[in-house]
Amino acid sequence: MTYKLKLMPAAAVTLALLTGPALAQDKVLTIAGSGGAVKDATEQIFLPAFTEATGWSTKFVAAESNIMLEVETMLKAGNMLYDAMEVSASAYPTGVQNGFLAPIDYALLDPDNTLPEAAKKEFGVVAAAYSTVLVQRLDKNPEGRKMESWADFWDLETFPGPRSLKRQPQYTLEFALLADGVAKDEIYEVLGTDEGLDRAFAKLDEIKDSIPVWWTSGAQSVQLLSDGEVFYSTTYNGRVNKLQESGIPVEIMWNGGALHTSYVGIPKGAPNYEMAHEWIRVRTMRPELEAEYVKFLPYPNFAPGLFDTMTEEQAAQMPTFKANADAQFVADEEFWAANIDRIQERFDEWLLF
Amino acid sequence: MKRISLIWLLLPAVLLLAAFIVMPTFDLIRASIFDPDFTFKHFQRLVERGVYIDVMWRTVRVSLIVAVICTIVGYPVAMFINLQPKKRQVALLFLILIPMWMSVLIRTFAWIVVLGREGLINDLMIGLGMTDGPVQMLYTSGTVITAMVQIMLPIQIITCYSAMTEIDLDLMRAARVLGARRWQALTRVYLPLSYDGTLTGLVIVFMMSMGFFITPALLGGRQDMMIANLIEFQVQHLNWSFAAAIGIVLLVLTVSMILLLRWTGRFAFRRLLNVGR
Repeated sequence: MTYKLKLMPAAAVTLALLTGPALAQDKVLTIAGSGGAVKDATEQIFLPAFTEATGWSTKFVAAESNIMLEVETMLKAGNMLYDAMEVSASAYPTGVQNGFLAPIDYALLDPDNTLPEAAKKEFGVVAAAYSTVLVQRLDKNPEGRKMESWADFWDLETFPGPRSLKRQPQYTLEFALLADGVAKDEIYEVLGTDEGLDRAFAKLDEIKDSIPVWWTSGAQSVQLLSDGEVFYSTTYNGRVNKLQESGIPVEIMWNGGALHTSYVGIPKGAPNYEMAHEWIRVRTMRPELEAEYVKFLPYPNFAPGLFDTMTEEQAAQMPTFKANADAQFVADEEFWAANIDRIQERFDEWLLF
Repeated sequence: MKRISLIWLLLPAVLLLAAFIVMPTFDLIRASIFDPDFTFKHFQRLVERGVYIDVMWRTVRVSLIVAVICTIVGYPVAMFINLQPKKRQVALLFLILIPMWMSVLIRTFAWIVVLGREGLINDLMIGLGMTDGPVQMLYTSGTVITAMVQIMLPIQIITCYSAMTEIDLDLMRAARVLGARRWQALTRVYLPLSYDGTLTGLVIVFMMSMGFFITPALLGGRQDMMIANLIEFQVQHLNWSFAAAIGIVLLVLTVSMILLLRWTGRFAFRRLLNVGR
């Protein structure tokens, strides 16, 4: 019964869109994205700016589950309801491979070529950069010590205490290899071989008994740290501020973090393809808006000149801040899209026995 | 004429079942063997990779344990309620139903507050000096089962109770008058008249437990995977056909287990109480 829960938001959203009064004549752009803090910030900052720039009103749909699931359903039904949407790092290759996304028209979006190459993908523009990083409870650390590398995370003698990692092989096996001494730029090369995979799992064996719980959602990882259920856990960098604000002494270890980029894209068959480009421009190319956004959420994009608007202290919290970015590796989402099925099975088996 | 009009009464239910149960089930079967051409590769993968079968059995085991505990705990409660005066019965049933108004998610989260390392029980035990450090209670199979029992128990109690209301309590008195001891009246009269409803409750709890998802995901350790968790992963990765294949196996397994439970339940009960001899 409860496993149907995940599909419920999609159904509810579809129903709401079909029956809503917004089907009237006024020009409306329908945008899908994550709920929660992302939705709040988007509604406060980007949506009004878009309406101001275009005269169109907007409808923001918070999709709690995998957006690609909804897009696939809409494509099958031949009725695309979204004009533009957030595409998470791991959803991007899935969307591309399955042909769910429409290509971005860069001549239309960015005729003056102001966006850096790093921001431009064939089927999406970078909307946000975020990291999977290790977060530690400073108050639970042994006197005068704190974790500085993945090798420390594996060091059960110096740092005893419960730990948590995400219950999935991606952005978990990478950390094991780093702890085992693999260089950052060789991670995926090693992981692509059977021996490399064996090596990663063997490394995980070493700390298997010190991981009472494997988290399944970002909110859960934060809750685990905040309740003291675990002292060390990976989580997304954007969630750490909230923990600190509620008085819990936590700190991010940027060293060896996984850097991801999520995108804003246009689904195939979007009713307002050209206007969607206007939305992308507002969302990704306006540094003054983005500067407001990163005050809420440290998920910056490549809006030209963004870092000029920030104080040094603020900039140091960003995953793309030079020192932070240099300490991390770029997560290879394409590798995972191609290999996740096979590796997930092995990972599940590893967890069970 | 009368017969025909009675059949019409069934029509809404039949339409509802056809539209929302039968047709989707056929669609599920179709999805599992056409991808896009006819193939058995998804079922083959299911059998060849040990993890799916293993998790299937873990799911059956947990569901059975939960169903049996719910029965052992729920039956006396239902009986207690049934033996109260009518007014008190209503009040007690109301109390049993209250937790069902809360979402499963909230009831699951409540256990985190109670059983956590810095939760109520650990704080109490450390405060009383019963233990030096926190005891790991969360993220164990025991916790998953406890929480599932808590969520499912009202269903078992209500099902048992509704079967028991059919029992004419004068039969118990008659048995006592005719010289039966208390426990004899219970085992020879009360139990045989209520076992069918009890078995139904057990089967319902078992069936619903087979599809549990949130509770094992939030309260379980690494080994407490249930099959719904694996299906969810496949759906998230758009592997509809493989997800459908796992779903079909889950359906077949659940239906066979239900038949088995009903059959062995009846058989075991007859043997146990020597009824119908």
